[in-house]
Amino acid sequence: MMDMNRRSFIRAGAAGGATYLFSSALGTPMATGATSEKQRAYVLVVDGCRPDEIGSGMMPRLQALRDGGMNYPRARSLPIMETIPNHVMMMTGVRPDRSGVPANSIYDRGENVVRDLDRPSDLHFPTVLERLQDKGFTTGTVLSKEYLFGIFGQRATYRWEPEPIVPVSGHSPDQFTMDAAIEMVEQFDPNLVFVNLGDCDRVGHADLTGTTLAVARRTALVTVDTQVGRFVDLLKETGRWENSVVVVLADHSMDWSRPDRLISLQPAFDADPMLAGKVQIAQNGGADLLYWTGSPDRRTDAVKRIREIAAATPGVLSVHDPADLRLGARAGDLVAYCKAGWRFSDPRPYSNPIPGNHGHPATQPIPFFISGGHGSVRRATSHSVLAQTVDVAPTIGKVFGLTDPTGGYDGRARL
Amino acid sequence: MKRDEMTLDRRSLLTASAAGAGALALGVSLPERAGAAANPYFQHGVASGDPHPHSVILWTRVTPTTAAVPGSGRGPVVQVTWQIARDRRFSNVVSKGTFATGATRDHTVKLEATGLRPRTTYFYRFHYNGVASRTGQTKTAPAYTSSPDNLRFGVVSCANLQAGWFSAYRHLAKRNDLDAVLHLGDYLYEYAPGEYGYGNANKDIRPHVPKKEMVALGDYRKRHAQYKQDADLQALHAKVPFIVTWDDHEVTNDEWKNGAENHDPATEGSYAARKRRAHRAYDEWMPARLGDTVALNDGTALFRNLRFGTLADLSMLDLRSYRSEQVAVPIADGAVSDPARTITGNGQMRWLKDTLSKDRAQWRLIGNPVMIAPVVFPPLPNDVTSAVNDVTGLLPEDGSPYNVDQWDGYTADRHELFAHLADHGVNNTVFLTGDIHSGWACDLPLDAGTYPVTRSVATEFVCTSVTSNNLKDITNNPSRTTSLAVEAGIQTTNRHVKYLNFDDHGYSVLDVTSKRTQMDYFVITDRADPKATSSWTASWATDADTQQVHAVDGPVTR
Repeated sequence: MMDMNRRSFIRAGAAGGATYLFSSALGTPMATGATSEKQRAYVLVVDGCRPDEIGSGMMPRLQALRDGGMNYPRARSLPIMETIPNHVMMMTGVRPDRSGVPANSIYDRGENVVRDLDRPSDLHFPTVLERLQDKGFTTGTVLSKEYLFGIFGQRATYRWEPEPIVPVSGHSPDQFTMDAAIEMVEQFDPNLVFVNLGDCDRVGHADLTGTTLAVARRTALVTVDTQVGRFVDLLKETGRWENSVVVVLADHSMDWSRPDRLISLQPAFDADPMLAGKVQIAQNGGADLLYWTGSPDRRTDAVKRIREIAAATPGVLSVHDPADLRLGARAGDLVAYCKAGWRFSDPRPYSNPIPGNHGHPATQPIPFFISGGHGSVRRATSHSVLAQTVDVAPTIGKVFGLTDPTGGYDGRARL
Repeated sequence: MKRDEMTLDRRSLLTASAAGAGALALGVSLPERAGAAANPYFQHGVASGDPHPHSVILWTRVTPTTAAVPGSGRGPVVQVTWQIARDRRFSNVVSKGTFATGATRDHTVKLEATGLRPRTTYFYRFHYNGVASRTGQTKTAPAYTSSPDNLRFGVVSCANLQAGWFSAYRHLAKRNDLDAVLHLGDYLYEYAPGEYGYGNANKDIRPHVPKKEMVALGDYRKRHAQYKQDADLQALHAKVPFIVTWDDHEVTNDEWKNGAENHDPATEGSYAARKRRAHRAYDEWMPARLGDTVALNDGTALFRNLRFGTLADLSMLDLRSYRSEQVAVPIADGAVSDPARTITGNGQMRWLKDTLSKDRAQWRLIGNPVMIAPVVFPPLPNDVTSAVNDVTGLLPEDGSPYNVDQWDGYTADRHELFAHLADHGVNNTVFLTGDIHSGWACDLPLDAGTYPVTRSVATEFVCTSVTSNNLKDITNNPSRTTSLAVEAGIQTTNRHVKYLNFDDHGYSVLDVTSKRTQMDYFVITDRADPKATSSWTASWATDADTQQVHAVDGPVTR
């Protein structure tokens, strides 16, 4: 948990009269001078954006960034295709079996509860946010989602404390998030700023308002594009652009399930004599993490039975050993993926009313491009190599000459 | 494709041919223009194929004695030497060897030259009795881990020698920018003279040899030999490696696993035996790996994958050898959607899905002998069809297809493949298709009935025929007249069909970059003219990650 006593807070004012709450460690300078030689990198995560949406005509600013920089059209999110693990992979450069963060939601065997991985102590691997500080650089986080703010905790030099938060979605709207990002750059000018823009993702998840999904999605695309445009304008107007690397990507893609395509595994497990009451499910949209909670002596037979039942359930695409997906022990005994157009809803069919969905392989393709005026950015190029969320940290590390972490990265620099 | 796909059945076409038989003499007297005719030992040219990063197939046929003509079963066992070099003058030979051949393999020579460098141009030739073959040029594939800026392929299909001259091949051979030629099937035709020629009258511009439908092994060998003596085809084979698959006419029309429309067991014997003979001759005469090797008698599986660095991989399909029989026409019982029926066969479907899931390259090119885009009248939403079927079981799932010889006749396999692309997030899959003697560019919707509200999962570019008859030839109407109405009708009821040209013959050029994959469509003037000219007519592309096609202003520059 955060130690409130060792943080200092500053409420920064913006031109419109709004104020933004930032925190940092005690004793950290609250402003640094902007110099044209200063190296800067910005990672902008358009949460839940599909790669085809960048060129849809509704995102002209993002399209211009993509087309003017280094595009990686073969980019993929990594298992589990959820927000927290992929943001962690971006900042650590390692897979979940090394970071300890395989999913948004896990069954915590110690606490006997299904919970989000939103605590700073859940992340077991150093991120570039603190490693850069060890080398004398400053870093900042502007994360629109409460659980992201939670897991990254006080790792960055400067942190935006997200507000206001939309009650249903648990995120701050993009306009506020970008206001904060701009304010952070103007006030503190960190070398690295990590920004999560949540509207694209959240309108899919929280479409309970009676608006059509398509209209809400389009509005979000236009909004995030406008906000990214503001950020680019700031960099260019203040002379920062020429020495900046701007990485834009999504943490995962988005799929939309049909109301009649729900998968509920819990009733099937409960109906089985061996499994009844002894299987926990951590639901992650299009992926269910399955945990055997019965006797360890019966685990082999039980996991076999869980696999059989899950694989035979309509809508289930595949069932995997978490080790094959490099997820680590916290991901449980098995991972079940759904097909495109389906979603898990456990423990009951009405438990998950959200049509927008990700976590399953259909949602692996993501936009991933690197722009900015930095000399290492090759202009207007497209690259056929595989790029993944785990490549972000090595890319940032390369910008600042950071050495590889202990054990090396699992990703590769894409500059 | 059925040669009479559009409007005419076989019987009426045969009748029409007889009526036009008087015109046959026109073609008989024309020479084959065989470029190697002056070479006594290497009369069938040279060829290369299936380029890998470190190897490529080299092919020729030697005629050691005047009696050792193709299909004769005569002639001695001889040793043919081969060389492959970095330069046209063979001052830098990188590999060489000797190959023994004889009548048991129709004196064909087919070997794999190994130890080569990736994406490198090589020159090769053969020697027999002190005489050299013509020099062939070939090119290896990029290394698996390399990221080439582009790849460029010629794309062709449906070359019926009786229907005209292979000018499309000649114009492709003039280019110096191709990595390979993709031949998507109907490389040769089985028909006897007078059965399937130029236009509705079936005029034979060049009559087939032998002068009968090919059925026996010797027939297939002779027909392959005739095609391989065409100067335009020889020029193209000698210029770039071919990557081939077969459609039906390499055996016989409308082939399926255990039979074919153009096979009569009562008069032509066992179909299985005929297919074995056809495949044997194909293995002998084509620069391709059957059974994954260049050896004979080790299997004839032709579906295979070729890789071109991180930019593209190419899966060549065989959609004839394993397919269920075509449903009877007219269709009234929804049989095209029967999940027990298959166009790929279960083994090939598993292989294809596994290959697509491996994510080894950005573009997933699929050499697809018959069209996969739904072309139906009218397309209905799947839900509507399902509801109707709940009551009647009458409607095929994707609407009423116009051609049950293509994937439209096997919709369960198509659904399985498209769902696989969607379920696994496989983007940038491009089907490259021949068979239907017309040019198309299509999005490939998961549900044609609700498109474009629902999304496309891949794209398809269809090349036209080198010579085989198209719609205007069959209707005997001028180009761009009646076809326009048909094209408009199809595009109206099939919103995913973005480009359609039923009238022209020619070839295509596919250019692949990380940003987009583009198909340029080139057409030739009259295929009865051995000097037919070529011109660009249209270009369509799919941008990375869009799964949709769009028009492009002009072709890629050389």
